[in-house]
Amino acid sequence: MSTGGSHRWVVLSPLSLFLLAVLSVLPLWVQDEYLLQLLISSLLLGSQAMAFDFTAGFINVINFGFSAFVGAGAYTSALLVLHWGISPWLGPLGGAVASAALGFFSGVLTLRLQGIYAAVMTWFVGLTLLSLTASLSGLTRGYRGLNVPLFLETAARRPYFYIIFGVTFLTFVSLRWTGSSRVGLAFRAIGQNLESARASGVNPTKYRVINFTLSCAFAGLLGGFYAHFLGILTPDVMHSRQTVEVLALAYIGGRGSLWGGLVAAFIFVPLFEYLKPLMELRLVIYGVLLILVMIWCPGGLAAIYTQLKQQVRWPFMQR
Amino acid sequence: MLGPTALWDLFVTGIFRGGMYALMAVGLSLVFGVMNIPHFAHGEFYMLGAYTAYFAFAVFHFPAFMAILSAASMGLLAGVLVEKLVFYPLRRRHPEEWVLNTFLVTVGLSFVMQNAALAVWGGQYRGITQYWQGAIQLGSGMHISLDRAISFIVAIFCIAVLWWFLDFTRTGKAIRAVAQDETGALLVGIDLDQIHTITFGLSSLMAAIAGASLLSLNPAYPSVGLAPLYKSWYVVVLVGLGNMAGAIPGGFLVGLLETFSYYAFGSGWQDVISLSILILILLLKPAGLFGNRGISLSKA
Repeated sequence: MSTGGSHRWVVLSPLSLFLLAVLSVLPLWVQDEYLLQLLISSLLLGSQAMAFDFTAGFINVINFGFSAFVGAGAYTSALLVLHWGISPWLGPLGGAVASAALGFFSGVLTLRLQGIYAAVMTWFVGLTLLSLTASLSGLTRGYRGLNVPLFLETAARRPYFYIIFGVTFLTFVSLRWTGSSRVGLAFRAIGQNLESARASGVNPTKYRVINFTLSCAFAGLLGGFYAHFLGILTPDVMHSRQTVEVLALAYIGGRGSLWGGLVAAFIFVPLFEYLKPLMELRLVIYGVLLILVMIWCPGGLAAIYTQLKQQVRWPFMQR
Repeated sequence: MLGPTALWDLFVTGIFRGGMYALMAVGLSLVFGVMNIPHFAHGEFYMLGAYTAYFAFAVFHFPAFMAILSAASMGLLAGVLVEKLVFYPLRRRHPEEWVLNTFLVTVGLSFVMQNAALAVWGGQYRGITQYWQGAIQLGSGMHISLDRAISFIVAIFCIAVLWWFLDFTRTGKAIRAVAQDETGALLVGIDLDQIHTITFGLSSLMAAIAGASLLSLNPAYPSVGLAPLYKSWYVVVLVGLGNMAGAIPGGFLVGLLETFSYYAFGSGWQDVISLSILILILLLKPAGLFGNRGISLSKA
């Protein structure tokens, strides 16, 4: 939420710092394991939405194979831990490296293409990764599911909350920081108008690949944490259904805002959990919301927030 | 090693498979060429057609052709409805960044339709054993079920009718005019809204026919449209987005490619192989095999 053109070192606004602080002390009061689980799910999906938004909102490329990159990180981390015996704490880093490498290569191959071609190609890359994971059942056990060692011995949710919270915080701050740096400026320029960005000396393909690789690295990191949090992996984590859920959160939250996706996750993940008897309807609602947002409010929650901020002048805010 | 008869059998299987891919891909191409919508919910109209045909044939005991016809009308109706309810207001409000926005909207639409089907009809498979009894024997001794043969004929027939429609009727010519130059079409007094609605309806109708005529091979279930969607996108990207004429040979090409890679590498790997080939082709020819977009018809 940092405004103004100059690059600031403090990349988080007072409000977002305050909300994150509230979130970080919340588990001290919340004893209910179920509620904690919900908070963790919101964090996981919300941080994925932020990593997704980093390409969708900044360089205007929809990574429709996003979940496959999350899954690639998850499987890499799990297999590193299982076969090479490295610690689950280091596994996600391996996952991030693997997904970044995959992202880099698919980026180099597909990001020369224009908007919709790139989206379709990332979709195909994702589908290929999915069927590859399912086919390599000697390594991944395919649809029988791969049991993954957990981070901790305990089944208590609170420590996991802090692990995932830490990762989310790291994701948010790094993406935010990169987004408001000079490189981030180049990203936005490409996203807004590719031709004029090229005319002012920004090499679109280079910056698109950098952005895509970074986003995939975070997807892989989050995937690794997801694996050692959940304890079991099936190729379904790579399904485009998952991508659509992340995509819907990012767009409902507001494209290009990063934080919008996180906020949307904290609204919709718990909400849908209470609608559990209506399991199928949950996804229908996601779809309807996505359509409504695209037609009636393309800026999502972030745009609503900006409008409110302009209209309401808080007494303690100096403007 | 493949003998000539086995080769011939594979070839025929591939062509039969390709007919349906061509039908789906032509609809997809039409929507992109005319409306600039990268249609991600195309498979959901296939699903709708399959369900409609199932209920018509197995529950209400319609004759087979009537079942396919009712699926076609359901597809047309749903397509028109979706265009009026979703794309029309979007075009009015946010014509900027149309391609990516409509892509997202169709993603949402696909989610809605698929999960609504799951909520209403449940996840079970609803299939029929056959529309028509019997099989055709090919020269090589291979049998092809009558259903498969007729579904192939239906696909070819639909494509031919669409061609005739676009080439010889007033509305068809207007559709092509919009595909070529929207502003120009507007200037000569073509009602864009009407053309868009007709186009989307037609494309949905063709997808529904595909779903209906393949019902005995692929039963109806909520996510049945995913594979046809992904195959038709494969075709369309392979030949070049919006290149309708290219979608037809493209469909057959993909059908053959799949049948042969299935034979050579087994299921599971065939997807990996086909996608790797596609990525290679796009590296060499980024605009697809047959190049640029726009409906390129025989007379265009």
